[in-house]
Amino acid sequence: MIIGNILKDWTSRSNKYERLWLLAKIEFKLRYYENKLGLFWALLKPIMDMCIYYVAFKIILKSDVPAFASYLFIGLVVWNFFVESTTGTIQLLHVKKYLYEYSNMNKLEIYISTLFSNSIGFLFNIIMFFLFYHLFEPQSSPISLYNCWIVVLFINLFILSLGISLILSNVYIIAKDINQVWMVVTAFLFFLSPIFYKLTTFKKALPSFEYGNPLAGIIINARKVMMETTAPDFRLLAFDFGYSILLLVTGLLLLNKLGAKAAEKL
Amino acid sequence: MEKKIAIRARNISKTFHISEDSHNTVKHRLFNLFNPPRDKCVEAVKMMDFEINQGECVGLIGANGSGKSTLIRLLAGVYPTDTGSVDINGTTLLMNLGVGMSHELTARENIYVSASVLGMKIKDVDAIFDKIVGFAELEEFIDTKIKYFSSGMVARLGFSIAVNAGASIMFLDEIFAVGDMKFQEKAIKVFESSWIEGKTVILVSHSIDVIKRYCSRTAYMKHGVLVYLGVTEKAVDMYLKDNQ
Repeated sequence: MIIGNILKDWTSRSNKYERLWLLAKIEFKLRYYENKLGLFWALLKPIMDMCIYYVAFKIILKSDVPAFASYLFIGLVVWNFFVESTTGTIQLLHVKKYLYEYSNMNKLEIYISTLFSNSIGFLFNIIMFFLFYHLFEPQSSPISLYNCWIVVLFINLFILSLGISLILSNVYIIAKDINQVWMVVTAFLFFLSPIFYKLTTFKKALPSFEYGNPLAGIIINARKVMMETTAPDFRLLAFDFGYSILLLVTGLLLLNKLGAKAAEKL
Repeated sequence: MEKKIAIRARNISKTFHISEDSHNTVKHRLFNLFNPPRDKCVEAVKMMDFEINQGECVGLIGANGSGKSTLIRLLAGVYPTDTGSVDINGTTLLMNLGVGMSHELTARENIYVSASVLGMKIKDVDAIFDKIVGFAELEEFIDTKIKYFSSGMVARLGFSIAVNAGASIMFLDEIFAVGDMKFQEKAIKVFESSWIEGKTVILVSHSIDVIKRYCSRTAYMKHGVLVYLGVTEKAVDMYLKDNQ
């Protein structure tokens, strides 16, 4: 019934989509344009991370992954979107209280608009990756139609991040230190995802684990479609969509149960 | 002609559980699994049923702590009810000392966000933008973040957005206490003009004159109970009698 109501609400004719875009634009402006470096910050973060891991794994540990800089770049772009959309939204209902404490605005719109804002950063980074890979990477594969699969993978990443964001921010209403708990989980998740490991080493050490960690699956498939220019691993993709939808449904149920009390509890 | 219902409240009630120990962290919850927090229950709104028609201006009176603010939050859909249900037919706007505005945004951004939340399209906001700014007398500060505004300026902006963009159902909580005397006069003038025509208004006020002047029906609340909802004169008499 809850899902039915949500679908009815989102398909009705209203100014909803215009409002989502307005909120996303303002969020994006607040995040980037208030700093001296502006939008450059969106790119600087994965580039700085990339340099650190490049020095550690390529120069010191002599990793033999081909096109290692690009390998890292795409992994970090996916990872950063995930972290910004989950860790960065734990206090969303608290920070954006002004939007719903005086009206009957649908809270789900607040989440979607924030993730839209993060998506602008993701798009910018993916374009930068594309240019970097094809202009500067000596071992690059040619541009292919398989690259378009990144859109499907991004939808998967968006649903996954939205689901986790809903769960975390609604649990925050009753347990404020979910923030610290999630920081430990993300640190663990970072090392359990093949961001800088060679894929064969990762699979050998943790057999079938890519089916247990949806983020690992998305990163593996993103490299397949953007760097190896092959089709994604469909079994992995199906698993990842399954996890994402399950988490999204859990998040929506929590929003309905706990989120309804946000105005009085936060 | 049959009147359309704007708000229908069926068996609604609200009790606040005020916890004496703060078990709002994972650590606290784990260490106190067998020691649940002691709750103090405050019955803010006791079981009530009523309907408000579209286009009506209904007053809400009662002493401090009688549950008026909680009731309008339930009706506006800001708080969930413990029992029963509230059917709202339209967009709602709750207004007390301001409407929902972010102090991190400029006046311009706040106008667009608030009006959009109230269901307006961007091109419609463009059309009334100058009117909102002019009414709030903030032409020189339109691109300033409202965190640098005085409280009066913020209140004027909120009032102006509410007046010009307004939702179809407005909950006005002591709005005539906003701004300086000059602005208050302006606010009353707006209220007396055709602004409220076609809108459903629930007006909370301690000013009996205001209630008598604008409300066709009035609700009187006492200790969370809806004692009376009907003719304004009678509700005011009951309120005054109880407070003698």
